[in-house]
Amino acid sequence: MIPTEWFLILSAILFSIGVCGVLTRKNGITIFMSIELMVNAVNLTFLAYARQFHQLHGLIFVFFVMAIAAAEAAVGLAIFISLFHHRDTIDVDEANLMHW
Amino acid sequence: MPFDATDIALSFVKIGITLFMLLNVAPVMNWVERRGSALIQDRPGPNRVGPFGLFQTVADALKFFFKEDIIPAQAHRSLYMMAPAIGLLPAMTTLAVVPWGRPFLLHERTLFGRTVFQGGRWFEPIVADVNAGILIIFGLASLSVYGVTIAGWSSANKYSFFGAIRSSAQMISYELALGLAAVSALLVAGSLRLTEVVAKQTGYFVLFDTIKLPAWNVVSPAMWLSFIIFSVAAFAETNRLPFDFAEAEAELVAGYHTEYSSMKFALFFMGEYMSMFTMAALVTTLFLGGWDVPWYNEPATFGGFLISFVSFLLKVCFLMFVFVWVRWTIPRLKYDILMRIGWKVFLPLAIVNIILVAGFIAKGWI
Amino acid sequence: MDLRRMIEFVIFFFFAAVAVIFALVVILHRNAVVGALSLVASFFALAVMYVLLDAPFLAALQVIVYAGAIMVLFLFVIMLLNLGHRTEEPARPIQQFLGFTGSAAFAITLIYYIAKYTAFRVLPTTPFLSDARSIGVTLFEAYIFPFEMVSILLLAAIVGALLLSGRGRQAVNP
Repeated sequence: MIPTEWFLILSAILFSIGVCGVLTRKNGITIFMSIELMVNAVNLTFLAYARQFHQLHGLIFVFFVMAIAAAEAAVGLAIFISLFHHRDTIDVDEANLMHW
Repeated sequence: MPFDATDIALSFVKIGITLFMLLNVAPVMNWVERRGSALIQDRPGPNRVGPFGLFQTVADALKFFFKEDIIPAQAHRSLYMMAPAIGLLPAMTTLAVVPWGRPFLLHERTLFGRTVFQGGRWFEPIVADVNAGILIIFGLASLSVYGVTIAGWSSANKYSFFGAIRSSAQMISYELALGLAAVSALLVAGSLRLTEVVAKQTGYFVLFDTIKLPAWNVVSPAMWLSFIIFSVAAFAETNRLPFDFAEAEAELVAGYHTEYSSMKFALFFMGEYMSMFTMAALVTTLFLGGWDVPWYNEPATFGGFLISFVSFLLKVCFLMFVFVWVRWTIPRLKYDILMRIGWKVFLPLAIVNIILVAGFIAKGWI
Repeated sequence: MDLRRMIEFVIFFFFAAVAVIFALVVILHRNAVVGALSLVASFFALAVMYVLLDAPFLAALQVIVYAGAIMVLFLFVIMLLNLGHRTEEPARPIQQFLGFTGSAAFAITLIYYIAKYTAFRVLPTTPFLSDARSIGVTLFEAYIFPFEMVSILLLAAIVGALLLSGRGRQAVNP
């Protein structure tokens, strides 16, 4: 069996790649995809711990995280679409007015 | 369980048999489609290239090899070239979790001087007997949307993009009804494994103490609605008539694969027939009893396995002929009607069907 | 090391490399469509990781929900807003520099502390039984309230997405 630390290290690498994507990119959709990458890294951590301690609660948590991430993706993309319709760009640097 | 080189060798044999089945589907179905459509339309069909036109497929394959491979100038090259492969991947891998024969016992024997299969080993004719078998099939069916979408987008052609969006919207809409209709067959079996779904159907229903009917899911009236919903959703998933508005000839030229020529088009063509084969295999496994021979208990030997394999293939081939039959009989549905019945008719019916089947099982009527 | 462990190690390293490489393509490539497809490949590799962690049910769910539904949604939005054909200009150099070094420092710190302080020297010997039946029992007995709440949340998300994407506005604004 694969040692649990290896899964935790892989999860840490993916999480920091996601953090790098959020900090470095200007395209809103790419930032959102990096956030999804971070959520998946956390899912991997949950499952690694669930396997280590033989607890089903980790699996149920991942189940709920997936369902809520789906809802979040839907609403977030709807927000991006309305931002795009108003400003005709998806660049998050341009979304710098509180009200227009 | 002990895992050694014999397991790996047997896995390769099973993968080889599954791939052989899948790769032979496209050539055979090409001939069946053309002769079958000719039969329905009361005309001869191809009959010059061999006896009964049997070598027409070879001629078509040679034509695909020698045609000029055109890539549109503004297409996104890497995605354009990868799209047929991406479309082919789910179609080829879904059959890994479908059982295609009866498990049989391999006795101990000496091969090249060493004893193999010590103590007798069961040969399970399924490449991957996973605990969550049916979910793998749903997952791979969801991945088949990507081939269509990428092909349409990367072609740099507005009409093929339009056809791709329509086609993928249709596929993701009917995936829901497909999954929910399959759940009712799983409720009967009590497990997500397809081997257990088939094992539950190897028994018999005894009517009035005299008539013995094979316990296939399609025989009991409680499952007729799920059978109908699953079959219709299978037609919609594979983009076959009456649901092929997105790739209809004379409407959108050829939909998402308009800009593809020679071998890439042949790959899309093969992928469509392979996903038809997979859907037919799924309908067989969930509703028609899989590899079960109707009134015969096959013994757990190689002969019994062969009979069950032939029975599986016969059922799947009959369903493929039904696919061809429906294509040339029923007119195609208009796109908004297709989407409307997908969401407003089939999805509520599938949900109500789960509740109904659960009620029937609780009362013991299945 | 017997055959099974060797094959597990090979599968782990191969799919871990696939997941990391495609994640890097997501954050580094200019085109949004290529980024979305690389993320699908990364999610698929993560699903294989979940199978290695004795959770095939969740691996199948990952492919169905994430790679098969959420990323299709992303891809549709990218294609319908026509973002695939326009390439964004890169961020300012100071932002890129700080972003890369900050996340690299974060990664190194995390990996160092994980490797040094995790005390999981003993792996459990029995395999983890996580089939659909046990997950279903736990879900419907211990977690029934979050389950119902998530269904209401999904309904709210559907209504919210419909309203926000512009269709409801013509009806709401006088």
